[in-house]
Amino acid sequence: MRFWSLLPTGVPDWKLRRSKRRSKFLRMFVIARFRVPVLTCFLLACSFAGAQNGSPAPRPSDEFSFMQMLADKGLHDIENESWNAYGQFTYISSWKPSFDAPYTNLNGSINSLLPTGERSFTGTATLYLGARLWKGAEGYLVPELISEQPLSQLRGLGSAIQNFELQKGGAPTPQIYHSRIFVKQTFGLGGKSLVEESGPLQLGTHYDSRRLVFVAGNFSILDFFDTNAFDVDPRDGFLGLGFMTYGAYDFASDARGYSYGGVAQLFWDDWAVRVGRITAPKDPNQLPVDFRLFKYYGDQIEVEHKQKIRGQEGMVRVLAYRNRENMGRFNDAIAAFEANPNENATTCTGFNYGSQNAGAPDLCWARKPNVKKGIGAFAEQYLGHDIGVFGRAMYSDGQTEVYAYTSDDRSATVGVLAKGSAWSRPKDVAGIGVNAGWISNIHAKYLGMGGVDGFVGDGAIAAAAERSFDLFYSAHFRAVYWLTGDYQHITNPGFNAARGPVNVFTVRIHGQF
Amino acid sequence: MASFESHRSGVYALLAGFVLFAFWSLHADAQQQASGFAVERLYQSAPGAGWFVMDDLDISGRLGGAVSLTSGYARNPLVVTGPDGKKLAVVSEEAFVDFGAAITHDRFRAYINFPVPLLLGGTSGTLGGYRFTAPLVSFGINPDTVSDPRIGFDVRLLGEPGGLLRLGAGAQLIFPSGNRADYVTDDKYRTMFRFLAAGDSGKFTYAGQLGVHVRTLNDAPVPGSPNGSEFLYGISGGRRFAASSGWAVVAGPEIFGETAFRAFFSGETGTEALLTGRFERTGVGRNLRIKLGIGHALAQDFGAAQWRIVFGVEMFGHK
Repeated sequence: MRFWSLLPTGVPDWKLRRSKRRSKFLRMFVIARFRVPVLTCFLLACSFAGAQNGSPAPRPSDEFSFMQMLADKGLHDIENESWNAYGQFTYISSWKPSFDAPYTNLNGSINSLLPTGERSFTGTATLYLGARLWKGAEGYLVPELISEQPLSQLRGLGSAIQNFELQKGGAPTPQIYHSRIFVKQTFGLGGKSLVEESGPLQLGTHYDSRRLVFVAGNFSILDFFDTNAFDVDPRDGFLGLGFMTYGAYDFASDARGYSYGGVAQLFWDDWAVRVGRITAPKDPNQLPVDFRLFKYYGDQIEVEHKQKIRGQEGMVRVLAYRNRENMGRFNDAIAAFEANPNENATTCTGFNYGSQNAGAPDLCWARKPNVKKGIGAFAEQYLGHDIGVFGRAMYSDGQTEVYAYTSDDRSATVGVLAKGSAWSRPKDVAGIGVNAGWISNIHAKYLGMGGVDGFVGDGAIAAAAERSFDLFYSAHFRAVYWLTGDYQHITNPGFNAARGPVNVFTVRIHGQF
Repeated sequence: MASFESHRSGVYALLAGFVLFAFWSLHADAQQQASGFAVERLYQSAPGAGWFVMDDLDISGRLGGAVSLTSGYARNPLVVTGPDGKKLAVVSEEAFVDFGAAITHDRFRAYINFPVPLLLGGTSGTLGGYRFTAPLVSFGINPDTVSDPRIGFDVRLLGEPGGLLRLGAGAQLIFPSGNRADYVTDDKYRTMFRFLAAGDSGKFTYAGQLGVHVRTLNDAPVPGSPNGSEFLYGISGGRRFAASSGWAVVAGPEIFGETAFRAFFSGETGTEALLTGRFERTGVGRNLRIKLGIGHALAQDFGAAQWRIVFGVEMFGHK
């Protein structure tokens, strides 16, 4: 599983209008102001669940960047780029005070969020390199460095994990890896000519509004599917993992959140359809990748439409996924344990999470090629200048273990994002949102018997929805920096009403160039 | 007072214990674990620099740049020889792909390289009192490893592109990344400083370098391991065969190597010869170069491969 650093790139077509939208943003704010819409929309938004996830941030021309600097000196054609280079660094420090818990890691289960006070941090630095290879082809390389220390070894939470940059298996010692190496080939099919701004993972260029795009290589599937709401870079937006994409979208990926594979996208004016097949890890939530793409894989399809409501831009998307992976079904693990109690969590012979609960079933006894599937919807709508509401929700079958993302079997998120134009700080970002995750009945039964999955398992459970409330303000200063304060309130951590609630306070410093 | 005789058995037992302990200690020494290091000795030149290892110092124009992809396979890059002459191929095969990018302006070049190990394997065993554990690296197990990325800076000091003699200098900083046991990194920062020379005379072209590899890892006396900082040397020469539409083929050998200052050309020295051919279009604007090299060790030690094959593609140009 992964939790990482998502960066930008996103649906090309969406980005095409970004600059227009931004300037429109500013104008509209003067008219619409902030007022009531925020609350009203938040309430309205609740009617359609959804999630936002930070969106790839292009670099507007009024923001400092290395490429813009070269362009200003006449050394670079930023509107028709043959290459570009961008970078970012982000440090996130979270503090979780102690909280009430009648039990922790009961009977040797190991996946409780520790009730003691804890500090967590992540530090990342990323370089985004892009080059035009031949006509219509772009190549991207993204090396990244991460240093991290999660809360409770990243155990005890579903999609309420407080920091989306955390990776399973990360360490305080900095690690360098390549997060993306891919080639994108675009075939124009006509329509209007749209401007694509220069940014991370995007060369400045012009595209047809009708086009076919193929991507192959190493990437995050979230670079193309379910991209961030309102194009807000996740490193400027919500901190919580549940706000990055659907909590129940267990997209195939390695422990850092990246995959190998291919994506095909058809853009037809306001419509887009995309399909993708990507690699799964060899073992759940681990780094080694299984390249047998015809045996184990994650498939997804997404349909997207952009619309205007009372002159305000918006978008809806529907996404479905189907994974075939070597994973365990909760039913099978319980049945194996009930048939033979010696097949418990302490006697695993295959891959397992190290639970010491001898009276609990374990997924290690049930792993075989299985299928997991889910369907979700996303919507975002601008309400006025520089303010918008988003929501997303997903339903997964809930029969099999988490293989890559979070333990949620169902998820819903709503939120409001606003830029600071109203108070003369147009590059500031503020947001408020709620994320909720549920587990299936059989998943709850498995956890109640003391079982653990990749992230949760207290040894017992009073099953309930895990909810997180996230409030942040990101202040822009000195041209390239953003300083963020964030508060999260998490109830029923690990889907267990017997524990919590938990408060998390976070500070983030982010710079980009 | 007790005589020696009365204690003789005890003394013998003590001596026997001491001897056993000494043997155990020796044996323990014999089983010391070798730790691994950055075995790759193909210290590539900057992206867009023409040769695989040497630098053609063809840096000019306004803002320009290069992107490169280089991939190679090396056979037996680390064969350790014990005191008894016995050999152990600790790293018997190694494959990598390297992504590079450079930016140039006038006579200056800055660049970065990101090597990605694709395959490392070999034979484990004990030799010369040390236990060597072969690496086990494959793309499936290590899908995102970047091993020892580097940033570098080169400058053309004297001469002009196309001239008989160009002199330059370069520096590189290598960041530790990856797992030392995989033989992809020293797990320490390294730097290189090189004096560069290159030139063209009609259809002939040449390049050379002398430099210092500041390497803090000193694993002496482990056989076949780094002994600290190294002296770098290399020379290349080739003939240009013009083709149509501005394309040309340049073919010729590159000879390069390094020796540890602590055993200057007397011990840890590795030298390789690479027969290279490149198909290229150069000039102002957008250019392309496709390179192929096949090489053999002249002194197979210290990470110099018994044989290797290298392939590269470079896109480069300037305004």
